[in-house]
Amino acid sequence: MEFVGIGVLSWITFLPIIGMILILFIPKENQKAMKWTAVAATFLQLVLAVMIYFHFNKGSLGINTQEGMQFVEKMSWIDIRGVPWFGRIHVDYFLGIDGLSVPMVILTALISFIAVFASWKIPKALKGYMAMLLLLDTGMMGVFVSLDFFLFYVFWEVMLLPMYFLIGIWGGPRREYAAIKFFLYTLLGSVLILLAMIALYFSVTVPDGATGERMYTFNMLAMMNPANFQPGTLLAGVGTYWRHLAYIALFIGFAIKVPIFPFHTWLPDAHVEAPTAISVILAGVLLKMGTYGLLRISYPMFPELANYYSWALALVAVINIIYGALCAMAQQDFKKLIAYSSISHMGIVLLGMAALNTQGMIGAVFQMFNHGTITAMLFLIVGVIYDRAHTRDIDAFGGLAITMPKYTGIMTVAFFAALGLPGLSGFLSEAFSFLGAFQTHRVLTIVATLGIVLTAAYMLWTLQRVFLGQPNEKWASLPDINGRELFTLVPLAVIVLVLGICPSLLLDLMTSSLNHLVEVVRAGAVL
Amino acid sequence: MVDQALLSLAKFLPEITLAITFCLALLVGVIFRSRPRLSMWVALLGVVVSIALTIREMGITESVFSGMIAVDPFATFFKLIVGSSAIFIFLFSLYSAEVLSTMKRLVEYSSLLVAMTLGMYLMVGATNLLMMVLSIELTGLSSYVLAGYTKEASDSSEASLKYIIYGALSTGLMLYGISILFGLTGGAMDIYAINRALVTSPVNPIALLVASLLIIAGLGYKISAVPFHFWTPDVYEGAPITITAFLSVASKAAGFAMLIRFFKIAFIDSSAVGLPAGIWITLQGFEWNKIIAILSVLTMTLGNLVAVWQNNLKRLLAYSSIAHAGYMLMGLAILSDKGIAAVLIYFVVYMFMNLGAFYVVMLVSNKTGSEDIDSYKGLGFRSPFIGVSMVIFFISLAGLPPTAGFIGKLFIFASLLDAKWIWLAVVGAINSVISLYYYVRVVRNMFLRDPDENSGPLKFSVPEIVLLLLLVVPTLLFGLYYSPIVDFANASARMLGVH
Amino acid sequence: MLESYVPIFVMIAGGVIFGVVMVKLNEWFGPHRPNDEKLSTYESGMEPIRSARERFSVKFYMVAMLFILFDIEVVFLYPWAVSFKQLGLGGFVTMAVFIFVLFLGYFYVWRKGALEWD
Repeated sequence: MEFVGIGVLSWITFLPIIGMILILFIPKENQKAMKWTAVAATFLQLVLAVMIYFHFNKGSLGINTQEGMQFVEKMSWIDIRGVPWFGRIHVDYFLGIDGLSVPMVILTALISFIAVFASWKIPKALKGYMAMLLLLDTGMMGVFVSLDFFLFYVFWEVMLLPMYFLIGIWGGPRREYAAIKFFLYTLLGSVLILLAMIALYFSVTVPDGATGERMYTFNMLAMMNPANFQPGTLLAGVGTYWRHLAYIALFIGFAIKVPIFPFHTWLPDAHVEAPTAISVILAGVLLKMGTYGLLRISYPMFPELANYYSWALALVAVINIIYGALCAMAQQDFKKLIAYSSISHMGIVLLGMAALNTQGMIGAVFQMFNHGTITAMLFLIVGVIYDRAHTRDIDAFGGLAITMPKYTGIMTVAFFAALGLPGLSGFLSEAFSFLGAFQTHRVLTIVATLGIVLTAAYMLWTLQRVFLGQPNEKWASLPDINGRELFTLVPLAVIVLVLGICPSLLLDLMTSSLNHLVEVVRAGAVL
Repeated sequence: MVDQALLSLAKFLPEITLAITFCLALLVGVIFRSRPRLSMWVALLGVVVSIALTIREMGITESVFSGMIAVDPFATFFKLIVGSSAIFIFLFSLYSAEVLSTMKRLVEYSSLLVAMTLGMYLMVGATNLLMMVLSIELTGLSSYVLAGYTKEASDSSEASLKYIIYGALSTGLMLYGISILFGLTGGAMDIYAINRALVTSPVNPIALLVASLLIIAGLGYKISAVPFHFWTPDVYEGAPITITAFLSVASKAAGFAMLIRFFKIAFIDSSAVGLPAGIWITLQGFEWNKIIAILSVLTMTLGNLVAVWQNNLKRLLAYSSIAHAGYMLMGLAILSDKGIAAVLIYFVVYMFMNLGAFYVVMLVSNKTGSEDIDSYKGLGFRSPFIGVSMVIFFISLAGLPPTAGFIGKLFIFASLLDAKWIWLAVVGAINSVISLYYYVRVVRNMFLRDPDENSGPLKFSVPEIVLLLLLVVPTLLFGLYYSPIVDFANASARMLGVH
Repeated sequence: MLESYVPIFVMIAGGVIFGVVMVKLNEWFGPHRPNDEKLSTYESGMEPIRSARERFSVKFYMVAMLFILFDIEVVFLYPWAVSFKQLGLGGFVTMAVFIFVLFLGYFYVWRKGALEWD
């Protein structure tokens, strides 16, 4: 699929940048034009995502073959022949998607579009805000579509700065602290990824298409083929010391993003201080990048270690689930509660991944998507109430169901989806994850199911405290949810409902790729 | 003898140009006393001509003046770095309130800058101990005076005095080291002869260690490596911003060039055979690269940790430049041409981003008269373009993509991992995380804090903005398309007499 | 290796010991009969007027430096004059450049007004 000779993936990635440049040229006073430009850019992006959805070939495998990738764009970006002792440096502009990335691409487009609407009432420096939001959008999309590690890393880092500003300028009272904490944590992860990336680069060579000369490469697909690892290089072999180190470095890098206990402490701060739309993006898309990185990079490149450490991953997954849920239960702050529930829910993704079988893997990726939509809803819901009451203290509310019936209705959908009520999408992905994990890590999975109970407990308890009971006089005059807010919430609610009833709409896209991923990981020698 | 010298002159044109420029700038200055800017234009023109002549020398590998100076790609590369930063500094000076406030001393300013540039041109090519010392002294003496250029400001005089005292001490130490080396090798002054002597007849390793440590002290002072860095913060803070910028880029470049050339030629085992291309080994029993590695760890860690506590932006940048010297030293420790090439790449990048950061500091201090981080509050709203440019320079200094600084770090780390110096790479990586913290402190003040009540928007003239763009654009462009600088650096890692 | 330096150490030690011993012997055996005249500052037989630690005008330094400059020029000019024939044209050009550079400095100093005493 091409438009004006440029592939659809380039368009979907760089549309926001075009929007950003346009916004920078709009005069300061014309706020409406800025908002609508941002809407246009993200809307076009969403349209492209929908087109990708319909044109996506559900049968192709992807993961480690270029043939299995779809909408591939490959161009030489950097090619330095230089002098013999340096070797040839080659970086490709290499985009492509498969069943693993397509749900994320759709999710990113969707969440970005909604985030623009959720930012309608930004009080100051709208121009900068919209520009940063769109830059962030490009960074996120780029991470999910790039198949060259160098490119992946550039996109991964491009996201940091806009996120820092979005939290730091437009955030809550402790925004500076939260922003710098987010920045430093993520950068620490990034440099570890960088080191692992360089080590991989110097271990993998591929023949040049034209001359057959072997050259180093950042091509992720080449890094997944054990035959490409040159003997004697740092990461050659199976289960060597250096491979362990590289795997752990990558793991920590991605774990900070997920976030996995004990690297999670930036998350509650960032969520609480960030403006609503940014919380939505943070929970909806950014956290997925960590697990996506593990699946796209760590698993197929280090299959033997993915097997070796699967129990450890299951263990941290269980810790995430239980710890997140317990922390959520103790929160007074609505946003913090959802932040901790995110940690708990991402634990389920990890558990599914640790299963190393098809059910678990499907559960994990499906849960990534569902968590993206459901948590986005939850944050939007908090945003709605915060805009009106200017407090997020759960105990300050009560009986809102009477004053804000429409709001309560949509909130109920989100809450029940989050606690995994059958018939809503969250249930299916959790069920798949647990089902898969039960086959591999029996005891841990049983412990993890305790998390479901806890989740139900804190979700219902919160629902009760906020919406049921005696109406609080103070909030009697709160207006109900308005059209714009409904417009952001309803599509997500519809997706949650539809996927709960007919999950194959999304599962079909990813099944063959994830099956193949499991095969690839399983085929890697077991230590 | 004389004929040979005359022949060498043909390969010495850039330096001759600078020497003549120095004289001319001085003459023009004292003849046309009513038009002090004239000598600055003369000086600028002379440096441009010298760069043009240097470009003509690209690819030549030759030794001139009976082995005193090498004209090789390595030297040419550093001459270009030094020369281009000199041009930038002259352009900065045209808009620097600090420099222009002392109009009657502009002649000395311009001519001494040329003299300093000349000294650095000689430093990067010196292959003889005598030439090394002389060129260091020429650079040093000019810079001592320039550091105290705004003598009405007490901190500038203080800077000058501190600089000269530390300079004298370190040159003294270096001379002492050189004389020990001279004695050990039986009277060799030429660094190639030193190497031959050391390879053929092993000497007392302790004496050699002492000699090399003393020489490192002298050169470490120039590149402000820990523990020879004590002068740096005070001098950087006190000296006029243009001079600080020049010291932080050109002076460091020249020091590095000399350090790399000296160690790579004098202290490697040139008799070793069967090594892969681009890899060398140290002399038997004298692993000086470990010293360099330790020095680099100390330098970047201390530089970064102390920078965190700074409230004056010039001081902060001083410590940051110390840290950057640490990153670059890593490239020398791994004993491979890849490492050297990585250092060269880093220098190209460093020139743009560091000069850019100092230029912004200068522009802001022109308007606000302050270099305090607090005075940057809300700068991003008072002058968005300046603010955004500063952010770009800072994230580049911190080494984040898609800026050129990332490419510099990438190649340094890549050469480290390629040589299996994992621990050093990890230390470097952690350091770059620390560095982010203090760079972001400034960014925070610019964008996250509101400006003071009575501070309106800052306006800058078109030429000032254009000059800024000349630095911003490469900083971004080389981050996305870095083939040219990598090719250039690769071709320039070649030194006279090393294969 | 270090053995070859032993004579030097012996020499240094001998020097230090001799010096200290001589000074101390003088102190122990010499008569001590101080008076006001003896304890006062000796200034070529003149009465010291005020503290010796005062600042000289920078002009003195200027003159001193200029003197040294031209003094050195003369030091170089003599050998050149002696072997003028052997050095030939190359030597002449070299010296011409050298003198020109010094002249440049002189010109600069003159124009800057460093030669004017007031």
